[in-house]
Amino acid sequence: MNGVHDMGATDGHGPVIVETNEPVFHARWEGRVYGMMRRLRAAGLFNLDEFRYAQERLPPGRYLASSYYERWLAALETLVEETGAAISSEALPERRAETRFQPGDRVVTRNLNPRGHTRLPRYGRGRHGTIESIHGPFTLPDTSAHRAGRDVEPVYTVRFAARELWGERAEPNETMTIDLWQRYLEADAT
Amino acid sequence: MTDDHGHHPQPPSDLEARTLALESLLVEKGLLTSEAIDRIVTTFERDIGPLLGARAVAHAWVDPAYKARLLSAPKAALAELGITEHQVEELVVVENTPATHNVIVCTLCSCYPWAVLGLPPTWYKSAPYRSRVVIEPRVVLHEMGLELPDEVAIRVWDSSADIRYLVLPERPAGTEGWAEDRLAAIVTRDTMIGVARPAVPDTAT
Amino acid sequence: MSEVDRRVASVEGLPRKNGELVFEAPWQGRAFGMAVALTERDGYEWEEFRQRLIAEIGRGPDDEYYASWLRAFEKLLLDHDSLTADELASRTSEFRAMERDEVF
Repeated sequence: MNGVHDMGATDGHGPVIVETNEPVFHARWEGRVYGMMRRLRAAGLFNLDEFRYAQERLPPGRYLASSYYERWLAALETLVEETGAAISSEALPERRAETRFQPGDRVVTRNLNPRGHTRLPRYGRGRHGTIESIHGPFTLPDTSAHRAGRDVEPVYTVRFAARELWGERAEPNETMTIDLWQRYLEADAT
Repeated sequence: MTDDHGHHPQPPSDLEARTLALESLLVEKGLLTSEAIDRIVTTFERDIGPLLGARAVAHAWVDPAYKARLLSAPKAALAELGITEHQVEELVVVENTPATHNVIVCTLCSCYPWAVLGLPPTWYKSAPYRSRVVIEPRVVLHEMGLELPDEVAIRVWDSSADIRYLVLPERPAGTEGWAEDRLAAIVTRDTMIGVARPAVPDTAT
Repeated sequence: MSEVDRRVASVEGLPRKNGELVFEAPWQGRAFGMAVALTERDGYEWEEFRQRLIAEIGRGPDDEYYASWLRAFEKLLLDHDSLTADELASRTSEFRAMERDEVF
């Protein structure tokens, strides 16, 4: 989904504020939320992709106004309600994909705008880049977050020139890499 | 977690019961708060997380063969140091050189190499860092106190999938002959995210 | 190095893995945290605790580390009259019998 969580290169968020001597948790409840998330996930109440998608579905204003653990808490509430706190042991059917690209291959990212969960950042859609390395295979979040199957695909670290992503605003001498599932990519014929 | 006391389905062991009794009496008498204990435990249990990464970096600085293994097969190299508490994801170690500086971000949420750096700081999870470091890394690093001349290439890694990144910072001048423990002490969390460089304390020179 | 780090570093034999403290059960972390937190306050010298710990380890060299730690801490509190042996015994038995399950 094209949500406010997809923050890369959005403007207006102000300076990075670094807290000195920051505690691990700012309040006791944060530690409890952290503990609950890890336990419920380990117990199989939800997978990580569902957990992320539940955060992304927060109304945009609330997402931005919430602290990290406030978002976690909201996502836990959503997931507990949606699943009825029932543990699903049902294994999703697995589909495996062949490796299509090799390091050095030129690729272009697809201009996907799914209504559901994806890990293809908006700033990286429809851009030309080069395969740097192959990883995984890993489960595709786009289907896993919706319990619509387990698509196991290679993930590629793809290198982009800053000019390709940021145009005139690019800083000198910067390159970006983004880790992308195979189905986000097409061979670059140009 | 330190919130595990209470609600034992089984009777507590002798040691557990005695510990609970102590905490309960000390809190009751106003000698301690549970929060003070939490603070100490988490400091030593979790805050110390970056030490794992720092030990690997310090070892790589003194042993070039180890450095090569850390870069080519990070998990096996960490296991050599007894660091085996990995999560399922892959770990990639990227090396800073005089010509290239690496910096890590997750624009979509806050992916972070917990296994070697502990839990991420708030700024790493904040909207300003996630939004800006990709499009204006030099400005952000400058604001965070790191000046990089234009001739140093910047590589920004958006950890958008299941791969986690650890920056191997450059060993600073003035640390020749230092023991590994002393080196590890200057490898801070921020140097392994790529927003700082290891600094040699003034008193050491 | 903070004062707390210095004190912890002065203790020989703390179970560590790769330089970090390891707690094999939550109670060990609590016992550790209590001793460190209490000696941050006036009236309890870290050195007093450390000497009792060395004595307890000497008394039962094969005991698990934090069992000795706990005995040393109990002794420190009793010696300072911060607790009485009676209240410690009765509170411990309440927890053991599950008559109480919250620390406060």
